[in-house]
Amino acid sequence: MIEVRNLSKSFGEKTVLKDISARFEAGRTNLIIGASGSGKSTLARCLVGLLRPEVGEVLYNDRDFFAMTVSEMKEMRKEFGFLFQQSALFDYMTVEENVRFPLDLLTKMTKKEKDQRVSECLERVELPGATKLYPSELSGGMKKRVGIARAISSNPRYLFCDEPNSGLDPQTSIVIDNLIMDITKEYNITTLVITHDMNSVIEIGEHILFIHKGDKWWDGTKEDILTTKNQEVLDFVYASEFMKQLRK
Amino acid sequence: MGRFLFELGRYMILMWRVFSKPEKLSIYRKRLFDEMVSLGIDSLGIIFVISVFMGAVITIQTAANIDSVFIPAYTIGFTTRQSTILEFSPTIIALILAGKVGSNIASEIGLMRVTEQIDALEIMGVNSSAYLILPKIVAAVLINPFLVVISMFVSIGGGYAIAMLTDIVPTADFVYGIQLDFKPFHVAYALFKSAIFAFLITSIPAYQGYYAKGSALEVGRASTRGVVQSSILILVANYVVTQLFLI
Ligand SMILES: Nc1ncnc2c1ncn2[C@@H]1O[C@H](COP(=O)(O)OP(=O)(O)OP(=O)(O)O)[C@@H](O)[C@H]1O
Ligand SMILES: [Mg+2]
Repeated sequence: MIEVRNLSKSFGEKTVLKDISARFEAGRTNLIIGASGSGKSTLARCLVGLLRPEVGEVLYNDRDFFAMTVSEMKEMRKEFGFLFQQSALFDYMTVEENVRFPLDLLTKMTKKEKDQRVSECLERVELPGATKLYPSELSGGMKKRVGIARAISSNPRYLFCDEPNSGLDPQTSIVIDNLIMDITKEYNITTLVITHDMNSVIEIGEHILFIHKGDKWWDGTKEDILTTKNQEVLDFVYASEFMKQLRK
Repeated sequence: MGRFLFELGRYMILMWRVFSKPEKLSIYRKRLFDEMVSLGIDSLGIIFVISVFMGAVITIQTAANIDSVFIPAYTIGFTTRQSTILEFSPTIIALILAGKVGSNIASEIGLMRVTEQIDALEIMGVNSSAYLILPKIVAAVLINPFLVVISMFVSIGGGYAIAMLTDIVPTADFVYGIQLDFKPFHVAYALFKSAIFAFLITSIPAYQGYYAKGSALEVGRASTRGVVQSSILILVANYVVTQLFLI
């Protein structure tokens, strides 16, 4: 469980997040949605300590993250899996080495166990054949999937995915959404997914946080979001012709 | 001045983190080996070419400048050896490597910064500064003295080729000169110096890359700054070391 209390973050003069409070429960897929530039990625980076908010607290199972010592924070980070918006794969490593890296670092597995875990993860993201390729040889969507495989390989307790299915075709998107949903349930982890994709919202949105220009504007479930009276949320949800049709 | 102190402080803090206790040695071992190959083996070609010409030119220059009956011809061999060992091999090689290796390191680490690879390491609980920078520094400090020794031999060989191929200096005199009054301390001094230079060549561009921000454009700028600053500091350090040990 992750709890955010009154978190604010600015870059210089510009305030990007204003007084955000939210709760992300374990065993449930938590989505963050909002327009481009609204501060979603910034929020995720604040949660894991890549950025330090000026004000506010982040609690992991009631432990104050920013009050931890450097080594406690490091220990804590070993429980994180993070998919970056631009994938951030290690350029000088192959796909296989990328996925294996967290295992080398964080686990005491034998070589055989690691091999098995790596191929298992790559299979789950539907990329079994690409093990020996380097990131520069992959398409954007393939990089995303390797990024997901890397994020989940060491069985994190907290999983952060920044736009896991941007750049993916609709079918692979659903595979990835289901994968995220499945491991969330299977290991009862706390999952946070940033997305623009209304399909994902409908598919896996058990708890949805809508951010509008740095403010927490709305939160609820996918059933709530289709029937809300909040105009900004409605504009976001029913932006496409398809969704408008669906509503009728 | 404020800017300079800020940069210096940030550099010191980075170095402190680089040399703090590594979390898992096994992930460093492979990096160190890779870095030794890329910093050492991959620089051999350029070092060879530069050293041959360096030695040849030193020999010709010395011969041209001491064209006097009162100075024996073996002085040319002696001077070639001394200036190669004391100055040219350690310092010129360091400056060349500052350009080659330095720009490489700064852009590699800078690119990792702007593509969030460094953030990805931090999230996994890796000390990214140590993981990325320490193997480079250690590899260079270990390998550079070897490169300099190779350069010394090749450079004196270049001078010898001139002695053989031209009649600027009699070969026998040249050979006598390069053996005359040899002090092992001078080699030790040169190797010590090249280890210091190796530290500068790797740590400063790494620092510039590590704190690069924004785009690929900025990575290019960081790389230039890394090369310029490490070159200047090589010359300053050269002066300091010479003053301390040879006077
Ligand atoms: N390092 C930074 N320095 C300055 N401004 C930043 C920085 N990072 C983000 N911003 C600003 O913060 C705002 C929010 O950015 P953020 O990346 O969080 O948006 P986002 O909601 O993830 O958008 P998208 O959906 O396009 O990824 C943007 O206006 C951006 O310009
Ligand atoms: Mg974003």
